[in-house]
Amino acid sequence: MADDDRRLNDAAERFDGYLEALLGDGRPSPESVEDRDEAEMARTAAEMAAGARTSSATGPDPAFVEQLRLRMREADAGIETVRTPPPVRDAQPQPEGIGRWRLSRRHVLQAGIGAAAGLAAGLAGVALRARTNPTGGTWDDEPLIGGEGFWTEVARMSDVPEGTALRFSTAAFEGFVVNDGGTVRALSSMCTHMGCTLHYRPDWHDLRCPCHGASFNMAGSLANGRRAWRSAGAYPGDARAYPLDLPDLARPEVKVEEDRILVWTAQA
Amino acid sequence: MATGPGPFEQVYDTHVVGIYRFVYARVGNHPDAEDLTAQVFVRAVEQLDMSRDPRQIAAWLYRVAHNATADYWRAFYRLPVVGVDHVAPGWEPADESGRPQPEPDDRAGARVQALLRRLPDHYRRVLELRFLERKTVAETATALGISNGNARVLQYRALRRAAMLGEPTDG
Repeated sequence: MADDDRRLNDAAERFDGYLEALLGDGRPSPESVEDRDEAEMARTAAEMAAGARTSSATGPDPAFVEQLRLRMREADAGIETVRTPPPVRDAQPQPEGIGRWRLSRRHVLQAGIGAAAGLAAGLAGVALRARTNPTGGTWDDEPLIGGEGFWTEVARMSDVPEGTALRFSTAAFEGFVVNDGGTVRALSSMCTHMGCTLHYRPDWHDLRCPCHGASFNMAGSLANGRRAWRSAGAYPGDARAYPLDLPDLARPEVKVEEDRILVWTAQA
Repeated sequence: MATGPGPFEQVYDTHVVGIYRFVYARVGNHPDAEDLTAQVFVRAVEQLDMSRDPRQIAAWLYRVAHNATADYWRAFYRLPVVGVDHVAPGWEPADESGRPQPEPDDRAGARVQALLRRLPDHYRRVLELRFLERKTVAETATALGISNGNARVLQYRALRRAAMLGEPTDG
């Protein structure tokens, strides 16, 4: 009997993990659900959670609708250009090592929503080179966008002491240059969730999203997600883990010449 | 050169909120509802036959949304996940009655109330506190004068009962 009680307690505690995520409007994980009966319970709970809300709380976030619209517009345009091949341009030898001009439809459709949001809002002006993204995964091995480009000076080394970040913008890109223990990086200032603009928080050494509270570290990776909480126990100043797993921030190529920090920008 | 939204964008504008509500009513949280809605329209931009009748287009979209949520739940039931791309929605006659529709919110709310009314008092109370009043486990435990552990057990049992009472839903 005591065994049964313990089992029930354990099941109830595990299943509460599903409810905590559901009612906290996070993303519930199937891992909290052990069998078919509990799956039925989860489903009942999900329908109840939705049904208990007023109509204004069951509709989409307007920002989501806009971002998805932009993503669809890109994809739709991509498909149109696949259907209608672009005119042949000859006698225009392309410099070596330069990739494609346009996103393939597959790229548009497979890129995460955050990535697509970024594209829609101006990332297209930056040469994203996959080999500069150490975590891989999100981007293919080929450059996402090719094209000619140039180096733009965005700051001086003396403007960016170790452990700080500085906003910059070029004609086609908004971002931060960060000095992470002597390593200089350029990071997009666009959150990979919904495309809101990140701000730098000196006390945390992170880039914080004002919309839903994602924090990115100086390497451009999500710093306050569940994985980070599991390894570190908590994130300073946050009551709970950021519930989603987000791709890294876009990282254009950067180089330092003497005191000048230069970022690669594709030619419009 | 200013042009209005293209044909696909018009379909998107017409249906995005409806599809979202349809999906949200079945998964109960916004992050998953956003993912599933995006899946539906990504598939639509690739495969939707724009020459179809608007009602057929609507039926197709809701069919894909239905399949996407069914697929979502398969992961919870430990069933193999098919992937929305592999579920053929097919074209159906342009018949309004056959199309799954998002139910009006007052009906969804009424259904929750009806379900709660059929539960014993203590089960109903714990679910009201958690789902209607959105209390935490600790707040619920305090309101009921029991321990946190017992509140979790009570909500677990209440949901098990509610799941047995609940009418089978589509998918």
